[in-house]
Amino acid sequence: MTRYPALIALIVLAALAPGGRVFSQEAAPQPAPAACAAPHDLIADSPRFPALARRFHAKQPVTIVVIGGASTAGTAAGEGEANAYPHRLEEALRRRHPGVPISVINKGIPRQSAEDMVARFARDVFPYDPNLVIWETGTVDAVRSIEVGDFAAAIQSGASLLHQHKAEVMLVDMQYNPQTSSIIDFEPYIDTMRQIAGLEEVYVFRRYDIMHYWSDQGSFDLVNVPKGKQAGLAEEIYRCLGERMADAIDYAAR
Amino acid sequence: MNAAGGTAWGVRDLRLDFFRGLSLFFIFIDHIPENLLSYFTFRAFAFSDAAEVFIFISGFTAALVYGKSLAQRGALVAIAQVFRRVWQLYVAHIFLFVIFTAEVSYTILVVRNPMYSEEMGVGDFLETPHLAIIRALLLVFQPTFLDILPLYIVLLAVFPIVLLLLRRHPLLPIALSGLLYGAVLLRGWAPETLPEHQSWFFNPLAWQFLFVIGATAGYSRVNGRWPFPTWRWITPLAIGITALVAAINIAWTIHWFYDPFPPFLAKQLYNHTIDKTNLAPLRLIDFLAIAVTTIAFVKPHSAFLHKSWAWPVILCGQHSLYIFCVSIVLSVLGHFLLAELYGGIPMQFAVNLVGMGLMVVIAFLLEWYKTASGRPPASRPRPRQAALPAASSESPR
Repeated sequence: MTRYPALIALIVLAALAPGGRVFSQEAAPQPAPAACAAPHDLIADSPRFPALARRFHAKQPVTIVVIGGASTAGTAAGEGEANAYPHRLEEALRRRHPGVPISVINKGIPRQSAEDMVARFARDVFPYDPNLVIWETGTVDAVRSIEVGDFAAAIQSGASLLHQHKAEVMLVDMQYNPQTSSIIDFEPYIDTMRQIAGLEEVYVFRRYDIMHYWSDQGSFDLVNVPKGKQAGLAEEIYRCLGERMADAIDYAAR
Repeated sequence: MNAAGGTAWGVRDLRLDFFRGLSLFFIFIDHIPENLLSYFTFRAFAFSDAAEVFIFISGFTAALVYGKSLAQRGALVAIAQVFRRVWQLYVAHIFLFVIFTAEVSYTILVVRNPMYSEEMGVGDFLETPHLAIIRALLLVFQPTFLDILPLYIVLLAVFPIVLLLLRRHPLLPIALSGLLYGAVLLRGWAPETLPEHQSWFFNPLAWQFLFVIGATAGYSRVNGRWPFPTWRWITPLAIGITALVAAINIAWTIHWFYDPFPPFLAKQLYNHTIDKTNLAPLRLIDFLAIAVTTIAFVKPHSAFLHKSWAWPVILCGQHSLYIFCVSIVLSVLGHFLLAELYGGIPMQFAVNLVGMGLMVVIAFLLEWYKTASGRPPASRPRPRQAALPAASSESPR
C-alpha cells in the first residue's frame, strides 16, 4: 500500500541531491512572495483538463466552483472572501489568461465532512454549471476519525457525481502544520484521497505537502505565530496557495 | 501444525513473544507521523498491519494462559484473573490518556491560530474538559493513536464468555463470532457512542473475530487438539496468497514513487483493503494467510529464536503491555522532536533507533525486576512449571 512517507523521502532526497536546495532550520524573517515557490513534482499530477484547456484557448467564459471548509471560506485572513485562496486563484488565473472571463465562486463552509459536502453539491455546485470544481476536503473527516472506508466512499461518489455533471475535478487535501499532525492522524485520509483520485482520474492539489515543503524550507513559520501576525500569515499563505493552484490548473489544462 | 501436547504445556512458544515484540516495534514506528521507516514495516507488503498481529497474538495468549487456569483452578479463578488483567489495561489506558492530554493542551496553546483552529476544532477538547475526561474514562473518547488499548480492554472483558464456550466446544466461539462479524459486514453494526461523530477506530464487533480466531488456535495448547482442518492444500494456498499480496503491495509502492509503473489490481482491490475499522475481509484473509505461512516456515524451536539479536525483541513481546505503553509515549515524544527540531532522515533514524533502544532497555529492566523479586525468567523452559500455572506476560501480577 502506498504511503505518505514515500513522499517525504522524495522531498528530502530531492533536497539533498547535488544542486538541490538544502533544508534550513532557521525560519526566514519575512517571506517574500517569491518564497512560496514549490517544486514541480508537488504541483504536477497526471489527470488533465482538456475541456478547460479548450475554453482557455477559445477565450470562452470559465466558471470554477470551490467547495470546501473553513480554510476555503478563508475568514482567518480577515476581509471575508477577498483574502481567501479562491479569490487569489481567480486573480492569478485572470492575470495569466487575459481576455478570458474567469469567475471563481467560493462555497466554503466550516466543519463539514466529505459526505456533508457531497450532500450540498446540488445546492452549491451544480446550479453554476462549473467547468471546474475544486473540492477541498478531508480535514474534518480526519479530526472526527470518520471511518476511512466511508471517507473513501464519499470521495468516490462525489467525484463521479461531478463527472456526471461534466465538470472537471480537482481535489485539495488538508493544511499542514507540524503541531496538529501529532494529534490528528491525517495520513490514512491523505493516502485514501490520493488512491481514490488515482482511480477516478481526479487531479489532486497536494496542499499538505506544499505547505509542508514551505515549512521545512523555512518560507513560513507555521508554529510560532504571534497573535498580531496570524491574519497576515493566513493571508500570505492563501495568496501563495492561489498562485500554486493556478500553476496546477494551467499544468492540467496544458 | 499441531504444536500441542506434553511439551507445549511446559515450554513457552518463543514465536509468540518474538512476533508480538516485532509488532510492538512496528506499532511504535507506524505511530510516528511522516516517518520514513514506517514504509518498511509489516504493512509495506500486506493489506493488514501490526494491529492484526497484536490482536491475534493477544487472543492466542489469552486462551493459552487463562485456558490453563480454567483447567487447573476452575472458572472462578480464571475469570478473576482475566478481570485483574482488564483492570491493568484500563489503568494503562488512563495513564496514556493523561499523557495525551498534556500533549494536546500544549499543542492547542501553540496552534491557537484561526487558520487551523476554525477548521479542526482541536480546541473543543479543552473547552469541555469535564466531558472529555468522563468520556475517556468510559472509553468513548479515543484520541488518535490511543485506540488499540480500548479495543483490547473490551475484547478481554468479554473473554470469560469465550473461554467457557471454548471449554464446551473448541469451535463454538468461533462460529458465533464469525456470525457476528458477518452481520457487522452486512449490516454495518457498530457500538453506539456519545454525541459528536467520534466512533471507535477499531470496531470491536468486527475485531472480536480475529481475537477469537487467535483464542481458538491458542486453546489447542490447553486441550491438546488442533481445532481447524489440516488439509494439505492450506499451507500452499496461504503461501500463494501471502506472496501475491506482497507483490501487489510492492507494485503499488513502486507506482507511488514512479507513476508509469502500473498499480496492479488497484482498481479492483484497493477499496476493499482500506476499511481497517471493520477489519475488511481482504485484510483478514491476508493476515490469516501470513499467519499460516509463518507457522509453516518458523518452527517453535527455530534457531533464530535463540540468537542473541532476537532476545531483545522476545523480551519486548513478553512484557507487551508495558512496552506498548512505553512505545506510545515514545512515539509522541519522537514526533514532537521531529516536528520541533528537525525532521530530516538522519534525525528520523536517530528517533527510531533511540525509541526502540529505550523499549528494549525498559523490557530488560522489567525482566530484571521479575528475576530480582524471585520469579524465574518467563522465557526459559521451567522444570517446575506445574507450580506456576499462569506465569507469562499475561499473568496477573
